[in-house]
Amino acid sequence: MEVQTEVIVTRRKGKNIIKFWHNYRQSLYGLIGFVILLLFIVVAVFAPIISPYDPHAMKGEVLLSPSISHPMGTDHLGRDVFSRIVYGTRVSLSVGFIAAGLSAIIGIFIGSFSGYYGGIVDEIVDKIVDTFLMIPAFFLILIIVAIFGNSIFYIMLVIGLTTWPQNARLMRAQALSLRERTFIMVARATGESSIRILFTHIIPNGVYPVLANTALQMGGAILTEAALSFLGLGDPNLVSWGKMIYQARPYMTFAWWTVVFPGIFIVLAVVSFSFIGDGLQYAFNPKLSVKQKEVSA
Amino acid sequence: MLNMPFMRLKKVDISYKLENASVKAVRSFSCDIEKGDIVGIVGESGSGKSTLALGIMRLLPPNALLSAEIMSFDGKNILNLNQDELRRIRWKEISIVFQKAMNALSPVHKIFTQMYDVITAHSSDIPKGRAYKMLTELFGKINLPSKVLNMYPHELSGGMMQRVMIAMSLIHNPKMIIFDEVTTALDVITQGQLLDEIKRLVKEFGLTAIIITHDIGVVNEVCNKVAVMYAGELLEYGRVKDVIFSPLHPYTKALVKSHPDLRIGNELIKGIPGSLPDLTYPSKGCIFYPRCDVRLDLCKDVKPKISVLGDHIVKCHRIQG
Amino acid sequence: MERILEAKRLKKYYPIRKIGRRSYVKAVDNISFSVEKGEILGILGESGCGKTTLGRVITRLETENGGDIFFLGNNISGINYRKMKNFRQKMQVIFQNPYDSFDPRMTIIKSLETPMKLLNIGQSKKNRIEIIRDAMEKAKLTPAYDYLERYPHELSGGQLQRISMLRSMLLKPSFLVADECVSMLDASVRAEVLNMLLQFRSELETSILFITHDISVAKYMCDRIMVIYAGKVMEIADAKELISNPMHPYTKALISYSPTISPQKERERFTIAGEVVTPIDPPPGCRFASRCPFAKGICRTEEPEMKEISPGHFVACHLID
Ligand SMILES: Nc1ncnc2c1ncn2[C@@H]1O[C@H](COP(=O)(O)OP(=O)(O)OP(=O)(O)O)[C@@H](O)[C@H]1O
Ligand SMILES: Nc1ncnc2c1ncn2[C@@H]1O[C@H](COP(=O)(O)OP(=O)(O)OP(=O)(O)O)[C@@H](O)[C@H]1O
Ligand SMILES: [Mg+2]
Ligand SMILES: [Mg+2]
Repeated sequence: MEVQTEVIVTRRKGKNIIKFWHNYRQSLYGLIGFVILLLFIVVAVFAPIISPYDPHAMKGEVLLSPSISHPMGTDHLGRDVFSRIVYGTRVSLSVGFIAAGLSAIIGIFIGSFSGYYGGIVDEIVDKIVDTFLMIPAFFLILIIVAIFGNSIFYIMLVIGLTTWPQNARLMRAQALSLRERTFIMVARATGESSIRILFTHIIPNGVYPVLANTALQMGGAILTEAALSFLGLGDPNLVSWGKMIYQARPYMTFAWWTVVFPGIFIVLAVVSFSFIGDGLQYAFNPKLSVKQKEVSA
Repeated sequence: MLNMPFMRLKKVDISYKLENASVKAVRSFSCDIEKGDIVGIVGESGSGKSTLALGIMRLLPPNALLSAEIMSFDGKNILNLNQDELRRIRWKEISIVFQKAMNALSPVHKIFTQMYDVITAHSSDIPKGRAYKMLTELFGKINLPSKVLNMYPHELSGGMMQRVMIAMSLIHNPKMIIFDEVTTALDVITQGQLLDEIKRLVKEFGLTAIIITHDIGVVNEVCNKVAVMYAGELLEYGRVKDVIFSPLHPYTKALVKSHPDLRIGNELIKGIPGSLPDLTYPSKGCIFYPRCDVRLDLCKDVKPKISVLGDHIVKCHRIQG
Repeated sequence: MERILEAKRLKKYYPIRKIGRRSYVKAVDNISFSVEKGEILGILGESGCGKTTLGRVITRLETENGGDIFFLGNNISGINYRKMKNFRQKMQVIFQNPYDSFDPRMTIIKSLETPMKLLNIGQSKKNRIEIIRDAMEKAKLTPAYDYLERYPHELSGGQLQRISMLRSMLLKPSFLVADECVSMLDASVRAEVLNMLLQFRSELETSILFITHDISVAKYMCDRIMVIYAGKVMEIADAKELISNPMHPYTKALISYSPTISPQKERERFTIAGEVVTPIDPPPGCRFASRCPFAKGICRTEEPEMKEISPGHFVACHLID
């Protein structure tokens, strides 16, 4: 008789954050995205220490190709490209976080509210969301920035205000299915107010798809800001990656570094956020990690 | 593996890790099940019945730890199958109706869509029309109208939901089905019909079934064998007429006695005094010692061995085999 | 005696999507009954006959389509959510599906303590936790601290069921709907929990609407029993009277189907043919007529009235005079 003891699953359940991290790790993309984002954050926070030169200083010679003293060369005014990119990280990250954050908050509130209450409120919200989703958002942003001016504050606000319907739709679907659950009925039976039910049960349980989508939207917001800057509608007082490309256009045929490096960073940021979105999907939906199709317990 | 029974479980241990403790939900559980058996598993709430079922299906949650000497099913060793192989046998050869049946379906898809997914998971070329007919027929057997197919889970009553899950387990004609508390929301008439259907499947197709239930009446109606579990351990196992009508273990005796019966007068029914031991600690002596009314001094510190009396197995110091 | 709750000609119709005309599931159709203070009224009936719906409509968790509900002398039918809040604490519901009755992101202690806090029960958090612990130990969930910090998915079905029951009981309602609240408990724990519920009833004089499909449990718990079929009341009587002297053919069938633990395996069943009638656009006449072995012509054309055949024993059947 064979005596063989086999341990099949050995996993420790820890605090929620540990569990979250455990699931998140399952996605290689998520992990890569997270590492890149971490680097970006470090760069943004320590920009003055990391950047070798003042991003606005026009000291060096113009359009120097990359070298030891200017690792990414200099631009047409003799400013250090690397230092400008480092400072640009601040702008891009804050645009990403604030614009997408705003969009998430608006989307979560409106979506959960309309999904949970249903009825006429829901119908109206649904129409508004549909309308918003039909209008090409970038076009709308262009118009608004053209009218109200192009400070970074407006740009963030406008991006947030035009992208929330996606989140609202996700949140609404969650609220619609959650409100049929028994524990919501329990909450109603014990007399919890609707607002309380919304904030303590519906939103905490249904917010995950929105969060994953928000990560994607952060990348989107960065891209939108870059595009606006590229069209010359960026904030004139700030260094941003998009603006660097915009300003480098006339020279790009013979000074590739002025365009390529900012371009790489834009792509990196967008990719890192979309990878994070992937990781979050794993973290919030552990069933994905065990790739099985059947209805499991 | 010659002369192996249809299913053999030997020294199965399952524990759940919690933040600061570990719940030993199944402890050194061994039993053999032959083809065509209908085995009832009864036992106090929280004694590890569902955990054992999930362990057999290898569907335990991530914080569970399973170890066993032998866990074989139809000549296959369940222990070292990988996810792909497991997926191939689940639903097709061995299926389960979860106790949380009422929670297992997605709230935003119609019943038909979800059933169709299970159908196509194993035989992908069935057109929708045929699947619909097949399901209607299947539903008929368990007394479910076919309009249920077009409804969403939250529109069904508890018993209807349970029967949808039962139908799902029957789709691929598996060799073995585990029913975990499937009659909890069924009225006596539907339950009777379901039990008859199970009996028919066993007779006609040689199905083997494990029925986890708290209702000794159900065990008496359909099962030919019964296993009595307590705090993760198997205390008694044998044919129904032996175990239920002449139980040997003090726990089984008490369990049978606390079953209310329609035909007897309306006296106060009593449970068994005391409660399940704390499952986070390993037990030294007999697991039932603290609540046993015929305990010996020996029982406190020495674990009883399994005594075999023909096909009746008991784990008690008072019984010598 | 004081009347706690009275329902008059209560209706709940669910519209179902069908091409062309609109049809309805008449889940509760013209049901009238009343519950006295401290009384336990049992509701028996087949799966899908509308028991859960009745419990939800009575507590206004679903909006009724007609009829009146009087609670403590107030007509609560049709009042809005905010006004209903004044009555919420006084009427509680134990839901049928314990797995879904808890917010999956809250620990057990949070799920239990929050409603108590909202309804001002217990002086302080510490006090409330003490109350919860005591109650849990009484329901055989020992050691209680072991369960308090767990999440719902880390407990067994029967454990969740008991906790869900405690949550409602701790709010000290004067009217409680208990929907299949012991369906997942084994005989010994069930006995304990039922006795706990009976004690709770006599201490607080709470009236209970006890929904179950288990006739022996109904007999043990209830003062009166109401039998429902496809959304209609078939028979109401004193519990003992109903079980020893059932008048309606449907009640007789229900009782004969109840599984028991008597050694003779095959018992003669009072069988009823056909499948459960789902109350979708039901035909005129008695709803049970299509399955009733004694149905006459009149049963298919005219709906039977409730008749009082002996004091307190009401039957809706044409065959009984
Ligand atoms: N995921 C989990 N994590 C930690 N402990 C768990 C988990 N699932 C179950 N348990 C514990 O393991 C023990 C056995 O649970 P199990 O669900 O197997 O009981 P059961 O016999 O099916 O009971 P019931 O009759 O109430 O359904 C219980 O004490 C339970 O609290
Ligand atoms: N939200 C809903 N929409 C449509 N139909 C519904 C809805 N809720 C319940 N029903 C229907 O109403 C009928 C009665 O359901 P209910 O849940 O009251 O049954 P029940 O008596 O509690 O049965 P069980 O014993 O199986 O729990 C069923 O036919 C069900 O399909
Ligand atoms: Mg279980
Ligand atoms: Mg029900």
